[in-house]
Amino acid sequence: MAKDSDDPQGNPLREGIATRSVPQACTVVIFGATGDLTHRKLIPALYNIAADGELPPQLAVVGFARRAKSDEEFRGELEEAARKHSRQTLRDDLWKGFAGSVFYHQSEFADAEGYTRLAQRLEQIDAERGTGGNRLFYLAAAPDQFEPILQHLAAAGLNKSAQGGWARVIVEKPFGTDLASARKLNSIVGTAFPEHDTYRIDHFLGKETAQNILVLRFANAIFEPLWDNRYVDHVQITAAETLGVEGRAGYYEGAGALRDMVQNHLLQLLCLVGMEAPTDLGADSVRDEKVKVVRSLRRLSAKDVAVNVVRGQYAEGAISGKPAPGYRSEKNVNPSSQTETYVALRLQIDNWRWADVPIYMRVGKRLPKSGTEISVHFKKAPPVLFNKESQGLDQNVLVIRIQPDEGISLRMQAKMPGTSFRIEPVKMDFHYGTSFGKASPEAYERLLLDAMAGDATLFARRDEVEQAWAFIDAIEEAWHVAERAPKLFEYPAGSWGPDEADDLLARDGRTWRRL
Amino acid sequence: MSAITEPPTFAAGVPVEIAKIDRELKKLWEQGGEVMTRASLINLAVYSEQPASLAENTRIVSEITREHACRAIVIAADRGAVVDRAEAWISAHCHISRAGGKQVCSEQLSFALSGCYIGMLANVVFAHLDSDLPFYLWWQGELPDPIDPQLWTWVDRLIYDSFAWQHYDEQMRLVEAAQEEAHQRVVLCDLNWTRLVQIRLAIAQFFDGANPRDRLRDIDRVQITFAPGYRSTAILLTGWFAAQLGWEKSATFGSAAIHFADKGGNTIAVALREGEGEPISGCSLFSAGTEYRVEHARGADLLCVSTHVKGTERMRQLMPAGSNDPVRLMREELMRGGPHRVYLRAVKAVRDLI
Repeated sequence: MAKDSDDPQGNPLREGIATRSVPQACTVVIFGATGDLTHRKLIPALYNIAADGELPPQLAVVGFARRAKSDEEFRGELEEAARKHSRQTLRDDLWKGFAGSVFYHQSEFADAEGYTRLAQRLEQIDAERGTGGNRLFYLAAAPDQFEPILQHLAAAGLNKSAQGGWARVIVEKPFGTDLASARKLNSIVGTAFPEHDTYRIDHFLGKETAQNILVLRFANAIFEPLWDNRYVDHVQITAAETLGVEGRAGYYEGAGALRDMVQNHLLQLLCLVGMEAPTDLGADSVRDEKVKVVRSLRRLSAKDVAVNVVRGQYAEGAISGKPAPGYRSEKNVNPSSQTETYVALRLQIDNWRWADVPIYMRVGKRLPKSGTEISVHFKKAPPVLFNKESQGLDQNVLVIRIQPDEGISLRMQAKMPGTSFRIEPVKMDFHYGTSFGKASPEAYERLLLDAMAGDATLFARRDEVEQAWAFIDAIEEAWHVAERAPKLFEYPAGSWGPDEADDLLARDGRTWRRL
Repeated sequence: MSAITEPPTFAAGVPVEIAKIDRELKKLWEQGGEVMTRASLINLAVYSEQPASLAENTRIVSEITREHACRAIVIAADRGAVVDRAEAWISAHCHISRAGGKQVCSEQLSFALSGCYIGMLANVVFAHLDSDLPFYLWWQGELPDPIDPQLWTWVDRLIYDSFAWQHYDEQMRLVEAAQEEAHQRVVLCDLNWTRLVQIRLAIAQFFDGANPRDRLRDIDRVQITFAPGYRSTAILLTGWFAAQLGWEKSATFGSAAIHFADKGGNTIAVALREGEGEPISGCSLFSAGTEYRVEHARGADLLCVSTHVKGTERMRQLMPAGSNDPVRLMREELMRGGPHRVYLRAVKAVRDLI
């Protein structure tokens, strides 16, 4: 979160012009520098923040990867990728300046000597550019490479800064595949870097609207008094995609929708909606409150999973009028795959605020429309006056749209013009894109700046990750280990998921919100 | 949809009776139908006494509304005219939304006032504010003395450009009186200060982090190069250093040099040099053998920042430079917001020098 720009401990020349934590000069070392994430997200993000003037000019980027190539070749590849993926059109003069701070370091991830050479190169960069010994290591490599990378960083002494600066590590998801592997990964990371220097990135938290949830809740006095079980009937969180697995079948087959989306993105959104007000906007104050939400989630027994969780897999269908194959016919997918591409859950947060307020979540691929949103459904007005049984008015619904078309809407009742007394729902709608002409930065831009500034608020903490896995593991166990595993339902591509997901709400007299 | 009809005086909208503005605006939006979305986050009033300002300010507002949806109220006052005249026009500035195919539109009310109507500014014009939205008043040129005190009960931010003032101290006194009148609620926004945002950011970044920050204590020399006519901008920049680093003015040497003393009694020599180029084309700070240099790259909207240790260049990078164009200055100002406390401190530190 933005720090107080009047911080007397800070740079006095920043007062009044810094509206966020200030990134510090450093060298960003990217492991997996020739990979997709680097090309599509990291380099375009770094270029954009440089173009916006928010990147410390001393900053250097070192790409660490196996293939042999020169600095110039590496810069050429990155330029091509940045031209394709950057939010802002590449300016030659700015790119030239930025590219001059980018270097390539060739080494195997498991080669100790490569790290010794890296240390020497970083020292040289410190001396040349004045990066003050600050290093930000970004693990953009495959998760099975994290362990050797971290071990070698520690062995080469790169996990500590020699000049009194700092050394931080950004870990990309997945943070493990279950609680045991997450603990193992956390312990490997923890051996090399202390928790306060570990940044687990979940790009959902870098999205403007996700950050705006806290502003909506705690900068407005009107919502918080209604934000509990006295006024909220239920909450729905939806993450719908029209896409299938695309090129990710290898990963997705082993993960499925629950691990891929619910464990991280959706539970993080739930935390932001369900948390208590933090004592301040410091990273740990916010994360302390978020982890309490996950800890308060009612754990599901195998029997509960059968009743409260629905899993599905898309079959052949159509998206936007075009035929779409079933999941099992996708490239690199096992023809008898049991991997879920859709999950719907009914959750309960067992705390004072949310007791008896069901939280419905759904996530799915090959749904008719893409969109991620949170909807808070308020209780109906008392059944008197306008809300008598014969009329049955709709509930007020506050919708926070995360993507696309980020914004907030509120549904309320209004009298239709005319002499008769007809009441209809109307929507007050706020669109970021309409109200603010300036485009929001990409999530990775915000998160990279935060990591350089030492602000971990929008990154997942170890206990958050482990608590989330503990909750998810119970469901996975019921699906895959329990003797009578619940059925994997099919749904046609282009539908809103299996009928059983609708039944999950229908049992409670509710329906999914229409996106 | 600007310039729906072509009025004889200027091409900025449909002429309307002042008493019927609300009704005509409603009609305007009804014509737009489903394809147009009206958006407004602020009331932005632009006041000018320059001839032909309505057309120029309409152009500026049109550009501003690409990033800052607002209800714009553009006022042209003619103090020289002997006739009492109050005319109004309405129009809309529409831009394609970045969220999709919809047109996002901001409405503009334009007023031409002369004679007795100028004294009724608050009554005639500001009755048309979009309720509940903040009110920003951009006053172009010199403020009159006295100003209608009723005005300050409406205004949230007063925007002006002290660069254009002939009598800085007098004008500043009026501005401060206005702020006093509004019980300090009005935020003072000087575009001459906004002009310095990017150069201040470029200078500030040198001193991020504990070690570089220590170097601030050792600054003993500052060189600022400013374009002809922009001495007040350079003085404001000097005031920023003095206010933020705790320097007190100790001596002046003509218009080219000022000496300050820091809290330890050490002297800091500030040299002001006039040169062609951008309002502030360069600024160097010297501290313990290191020069921290920010220069406006020639012919580009970029700042070149570099450090030089004992004559050797150690680091060189480009940063955005901002622009002296009124549209860009206003966009920057509207985007940043904030209480501008540092500005007031900077003014206080060098007020007698501007």
